[in-house]
Amino acid sequence: MTNLAQAVSGMGQIEDKTEEPVRAKPSLSRFFVFRGLLARRAEIALGIGGSVGLLLLWEAAARLGWTNPVFFPAPSTVIAAMGRMIVNQSLLWHAGISTMRVWVAFLIAAAMAIPIGILMSSYRVIGAPLEPVIDFIRYLPVPALVPLSIIWFGVGESTKIYLLWLGTFFQLVLLVADDMRRVPQEYVEIASTLGAKPHQILKDVAFRAMLPGLVDNLRITLGWCWTYLIIAEIVAADSGIGFVIWTARRYMKTPEVMAGVVVIGIIGLVTDQILRAIHRRAFQYL
Amino acid sequence: MNTPYLTFDRITKTFGDIEVVAPHFDLGIEKNDFVVFLGPSGCGKTTLMRMIGGLDTPSGGEIRLQGVPVGPPDWRRGMMFQSYSSFPWLTVAQNVEFGMRYRHDLTEEEKLARRDHYLDLVGLYEFSGAYPNRVSGGMRQRVAIARTLASGSDVLLMDEPFGALDAQRRETLQVELRNIQKRDAKTVVFVTHDVEEAVFLADRVIVFSKRPARVVADIDITARLGADRHLDLRDSVGFFELRNEILRLLRKSGAGHE
Repeated sequence: MTNLAQAVSGMGQIEDKTEEPVRAKPSLSRFFVFRGLLARRAEIALGIGGSVGLLLLWEAAARLGWTNPVFFPAPSTVIAAMGRMIVNQSLLWHAGISTMRVWVAFLIAAAMAIPIGILMSSYRVIGAPLEPVIDFIRYLPVPALVPLSIIWFGVGESTKIYLLWLGTFFQLVLLVADDMRRVPQEYVEIASTLGAKPHQILKDVAFRAMLPGLVDNLRITLGWCWTYLIIAEIVAADSGIGFVIWTARRYMKTPEVMAGVVVIGIIGLVTDQILRAIHRRAFQYL
Repeated sequence: MNTPYLTFDRITKTFGDIEVVAPHFDLGIEKNDFVVFLGPSGCGKTTLMRMIGGLDTPSGGEIRLQGVPVGPPDWRRGMMFQSYSSFPWLTVAQNVEFGMRYRHDLTEEEKLARRDHYLDLVGLYEFSGAYPNRVSGGMRQRVAIARTLASGSDVLLMDEPFGALDAQRRETLQVELRNIQKRDAKTVVFVTHDVEEAVFLADRVIVFSKRPARVVADIDITARLGADRHLDLRDSVGFFELRNEILRLLRKSGAGHE
């Protein structure tokens, strides 16, 4: 660069500063930084904006007659249907029943999967015989087992709990075993050279070390539980969200069907956010 | 001559078909000595150290501490690693306290006093309440040192504990460790593949061949450099000569090339 060019560019900078405050270039490239971070406020705005935008587009499509309202009703129609269902069809009660089923089955599955999974990876003599069996059952699609569970348990409450348990336990037990396997051997060996017995290592060190991963896996598995719930409630139920959706379908009440689906989505979203918040609070050391 | 404090007596070690240690390995380690096992990566020196701690067992022969064959791990032989050296879910102080968790012969007051003493000793008292992820890598290794000392171990087994630190932190910790070891009269077995670290820290360097591990040289560093170790020592001719001598030994034993 010549001296002259430097002088000119230098002058340019001075002028910028004196005449008008330096402003960031209104450039989109600022937002598209590969693997870059985004301001927290921008994250939230985009998160809400994305959903709202989609809803508006959908609403417009329905109102402008681009879609057939029988198949694709507007969001406002769906919300109105939801309101009617809450008043006339005790939608919230059905949602409560479904939530309870999910949690009962999930808690039973977790209460069994956590100790079994931990033992499976702590003692090969337990893991070796169980792994092939669990792996086999894990790949069986839950819907394929519906007839069998109806033969065994009839169409009562226990069938639904059983199906949900089936869908989650076998997945969860392997995830728990994996969480335990990932605990660094160093932690185990540090504890043992401090005089800890195996059961103390398990309780004081290995379990504590695996806990964040475990809570995350529980959260993910809880989500799967909802998938199986709908299957169970469609097949054999006279209550619950799945039943509501399936009944509405029979009368081609698309807004009601969609309202039911939206309720599940809302419950899922809220539960997930609560569990994430608990995770953040409980594991601040991460 | 008395039998040494810690002895390897005709040790053999195989993992499946692989011979980790050359047959009938013998070695004696004196009390309060700082012994460094130096050798190429994967030569079996770490396995030998782990056998002292009871984390690995010899396939044949016996390791004896004060004449008694060593058993499963206990707090008398403390271990320290390069990574995962402290528990992330415990604060700095809780980590040090954990060192005494299974010492039922100490009262609560004694434990707290010891905790504070060793936190102070490694200069971490003001970080007592911090979680390990909030302090530097060097501080995390200090936490591990304090925890091992608080546990009351007589033998400190260190597996490349400073391997992941930058040069400056590493030198500082080496000086501190050496001082603590002499003041508290601990027997240290320290594994590294860094020649300068070995010479600076050790009273005695055992140079190993590549696998299966065999002693290539047994060098009395203190006889040549004295027991006092300052950072200036690194610039001395004696230090330089020892370093080159050991590098030559490693090269000659085939450690330098495959």
